[in-house]
Amino acid sequence: MAIKRDKKEEEDGGNMFQNLDKTSVLQDARTFNDTPVNPRKCTPILTKILFLLNQGEQLGTTEATEAFFAMTKLFQSKNPVLRRMVYLGIKELSNLAEDVIIVTSSLTKDMTGKEDLYRAAAIRALCSITDATMLQTIERYMKQAIVDKNPSVASAALVSSLHMSKTAGDVVKRWVNEAQEALNSDNVMVQYHALGLLYHIRKTDRLAVNKLVARLTSDRSNRLKSPFAFCMLIRIACKQLEKDGGDYSDSPLFGFVEACLRHKNETVTYEAAAAMVNLRNTTARQVSPAVSVLQLFCNSSKPALRFAAVRTLNKVAMTHPPVVTSCNLDLENLITDPNRSIATLAITTLLKTGAESAVDRLMKQIASFVSEISDEFKIVVVQAIRALCLKFPRKHNTLMTFLSAMLRDEGGLEYKASIADTIITIIEDNPDAKEIGLAHLCEFIEDCEHVSLAVRILHLLGKEGPKTIQPSRYIRFIYNRVILEIAVIRAAAVSALAQFGSLCPDLLPNILVLLARCQMDTDDEVRDRATYYHYILSLQEKGLIFNYIVDPMQICLVTLEKSLAQQVQEKSSTKFDLKSVPPAAVVTMTEDTAKEPVPEGSISTVPAKAPLIQSTVSSYAEKLQNVPGLQSIPGVLFHVSEPVELTESETEYFVTCTKLAFPNHLVLQFECKNTLSDQLLENVRVQVEASEGYRVVKEISIPRLPYNETHNAYVILQFPDQLALTVTNFGATLRFIVKDCDPTTGIPDADDGYDDDYMLEDVEISISDQIEKISMDKEAFDRAWETAIEDGFTESEDTFNLPGMGSLEQAVTKVVKFLSLEPTGLTRIADRSSVMLCMPGMFRGGIEVLIRAKLAVSNNGVSMQFTVKSAHPEVAELICAAVG
Amino acid sequence: MISIINRILDWFRSLFWKEEMELTLVGLQCSGKTTFVNVIASGQFSQDMIPTVGFNMRKITKGNVTIKVWDIGGQPRFRSMWERYCRGVNAIVYMVDAADTDKLEASRNELHNLLDKPQLMGIPVLVLGNKRDLPGALDEKELIDRMNLCAIQDREICCYSISCKSKDNIDITLQWLINHSKSGGAH
Repeated sequence: MAIKRDKKEEEDGGNMFQNLDKTSVLQDARTFNDTPVNPRKCTPILTKILFLLNQGEQLGTTEATEAFFAMTKLFQSKNPVLRRMVYLGIKELSNLAEDVIIVTSSLTKDMTGKEDLYRAAAIRALCSITDATMLQTIERYMKQAIVDKNPSVASAALVSSLHMSKTAGDVVKRWVNEAQEALNSDNVMVQYHALGLLYHIRKTDRLAVNKLVARLTSDRSNRLKSPFAFCMLIRIACKQLEKDGGDYSDSPLFGFVEACLRHKNETVTYEAAAAMVNLRNTTARQVSPAVSVLQLFCNSSKPALRFAAVRTLNKVAMTHPPVVTSCNLDLENLITDPNRSIATLAITTLLKTGAESAVDRLMKQIASFVSEISDEFKIVVVQAIRALCLKFPRKHNTLMTFLSAMLRDEGGLEYKASIADTIITIIEDNPDAKEIGLAHLCEFIEDCEHVSLAVRILHLLGKEGPKTIQPSRYIRFIYNRVILEIAVIRAAAVSALAQFGSLCPDLLPNILVLLARCQMDTDDEVRDRATYYHYILSLQEKGLIFNYIVDPMQICLVTLEKSLAQQVQEKSSTKFDLKSVPPAAVVTMTEDTAKEPVPEGSISTVPAKAPLIQSTVSSYAEKLQNVPGLQSIPGVLFHVSEPVELTESETEYFVTCTKLAFPNHLVLQFECKNTLSDQLLENVRVQVEASEGYRVVKEISIPRLPYNETHNAYVILQFPDQLALTVTNFGATLRFIVKDCDPTTGIPDADDGYDDDYMLEDVEISISDQIEKISMDKEAFDRAWETAIEDGFTESEDTFNLPGMGSLEQAVTKVVKFLSLEPTGLTRIADRSSVMLCMPGMFRGGIEVLIRAKLAVSNNGVSMQFTVKSAHPEVAELICAAVG
Repeated sequence: MISIINRILDWFRSLFWKEEMELTLVGLQCSGKTTFVNVIASGQFSQDMIPTVGFNMRKITKGNVTIKVWDIGGQPRFRSMWERYCRGVNAIVYMVDAADTDKLEASRNELHNLLDKPQLMGIPVLVLGNKRDLPGALDEKELIDRMNLCAIQDREICCYSISCKSKDNIDITLQWLINHSKSGGAH
């Protein structure tokens, strides 16, 4: 009857779980307490609870406990369906409800009982309710279950052990013998799980793993039959090979993997081949047998095998080009594969490795079926095109046309964004493609349903459009947006128009007319922008326009707001100094999203999104406000350095240091962690030996530091007046009172402890701790650089030799890392052997700094001409000196 | 022939008068709760038992009465959960180790704590003084006195002295239980 009703509901097109309400379901769960139990009623209610939990519904502790105990009443029913639902319910509620150990006895009874149907599920449920302290009570049952004859029981016990080893590794380690015995099981799954557990137990011990693998691989009469276990073994072996390094040729492990290529199971053969081509430091000869296996799979009649092979080839196309080249012929055949996923991967692989001449033909192939594949694969194609554009700039015409065609197709935001990204990358990389690319993008925004993309493209048009030969042609596209779109896009369009107005003087009158019209807009933001831009543009003052439209100040808004509020509150008569506000954190575009030929090709690759960085400076400033004793520091927090570890990571006490720079003060934040379970630390503080010129203003200690907790201690220092003294090293010591305590309760044994200290590594104060990066594009930098001397900047210059640098790239990264600044835009590479780096920054106290470094390869390493311009002569000198 | 007819009649009767009752068995650890369940279920006594972690659910059929027993662990960490399993049952059976006088006070406190819960109001209680075979075990009277059972006025309460080992007084205990099934026992 119930089933019939359900069916009816389904036919109505409704999901019976669609409009579930948590409260009413929990109310229903009270029927679990009724006697006799009605399985027909209870099973759907349990299903509903599980459904809600899996939909992300949050249950409070009381609610969960109530439901859990009601559910325990269902153990009286012998209905197997209901019982299995109860097991699932226990697993889901085990970490929400209290006192879940109440079902321990019932579950142990089920796991050792006669009903095979219950046993495996009972083991899994039991392990989910058992914590480390309770594990001993069920240890005996677990050991028995691991060696149980029933494969599902043994597998459940092995997998559960694996899960439990996270919390109770020591206890699970004692089950090695049982796991060893399970490894001899006839069942493929049990063997696999047993090997998994054995490996997990020994994972941290390299020698033990070696021994395990050696025993399993060398044994001629070995009983390892499970292909899954073989695959696992291959993975373990490869991990060991990578760790051991060196030459593989005489390694027995490599021999084993190679032997697996001849295994009769296809899964194992594939795993071995994939593992071999993915191994680093292999020679072409070592890989060739694996390649022939993949080649064979490419021609297999089974789509799964073809897919696996082509996907592997796609992945290694960049790292092992010769491997893929030798399969080119087979890949060509796969282009017309009826399975579109295989075809896509085959084409993109060929694109990666193929010659320039093949591009046109391959693109035509893709075009024929691109509408049939899913977005995910379309992104793979787009990424392949991006790599191709960077490799063959001359082909941009074909590729760009193709991309614009793809843009016009249906597709999700992620897909469209990846296309737009690619076009933008191409525009940035290849000046020849700029005009065409912008034209395509203009066309795209005419009919773009994704607001975020439209805004991005409008911004790009504003930046790049004015620099083209005929900027006026873009105005129409942009102004169309003002007429047709929603407020967010209109605002972006207005800003873009203003860019044209400021950079193209001959267009200015027209732009002013357009902006005047925009002042009538219905939206506040659009109107505000239009008014602002109109006013500044109509003043026709170059400097003003440059500073307020083309290159507006980058300031950390949160801090600005706070400082202004403070200013108003204090009613101080001094003028507000904008320079006291730290510049905005630069959102670091990860290199690979920008221009690197990303290791794309894997199907799941999602274009890396620029992380949403909430300015670290402002978040730290907020945190510091809450620390008593730190509010008194004058000025605004200016720079936060990356945390540095002052101890090895696996020592008794773990300390990292974060340097926080204020205009005149330096705050060292020491994050201390106590890793000793039998010690309670009190009055923990870090003593620094301040070097000459520095003055320790205050130390803030941690009153109590129990086991496994991390707290912060602070030292406030005043910067020396003489800038040259600021770059230095401090010796640091952790001082504290130790109280021995009971490891389980954390209560100290005695009231009085003893003093102890712990040497930390030196705290290094470098120039980079005092400079904050600011973002500025290349042109703005150049302009600032030229006018610097007029603006009263001092120049300091020096030439250095950087020995031991293998390549320019290495030197560049080293310099950038040393200063922890952001090189602006693209660095100019005059020819292959020299590079120019431009880095703008802001010294603490709001002193602007411009740094230019020319690096060139010389006979012994890399030589560098380093020039610093700064408003403050001492700063310029200091930076120059610090680099040396 | 008559016996067969009688048996068939009995079977029919049991179909119509089949009864179910639910009771919860609590008490301090090692007082013999699980042993008691085993004894009334199968008559088997076992000396070495492991502590119950959580609860055991057993169904026992006596005549035409099916008794559902919730046998809850007596270790301190489970005592807070007793109440949850006592709600709405036909009777609460409270097991006391009559030979262990040291623990009697704790046992008394736990019992009174439990019965103070408003949700358990009016549920009949049977206090069993187990292990009467041991020397020095208290008898009913002493037990009533030491457990302060006279103070419990709001419900039916009864106390027996039993031994699971020598199966003393198990029969009267069962009879009491059956009398407290829903209809008060059909016999």
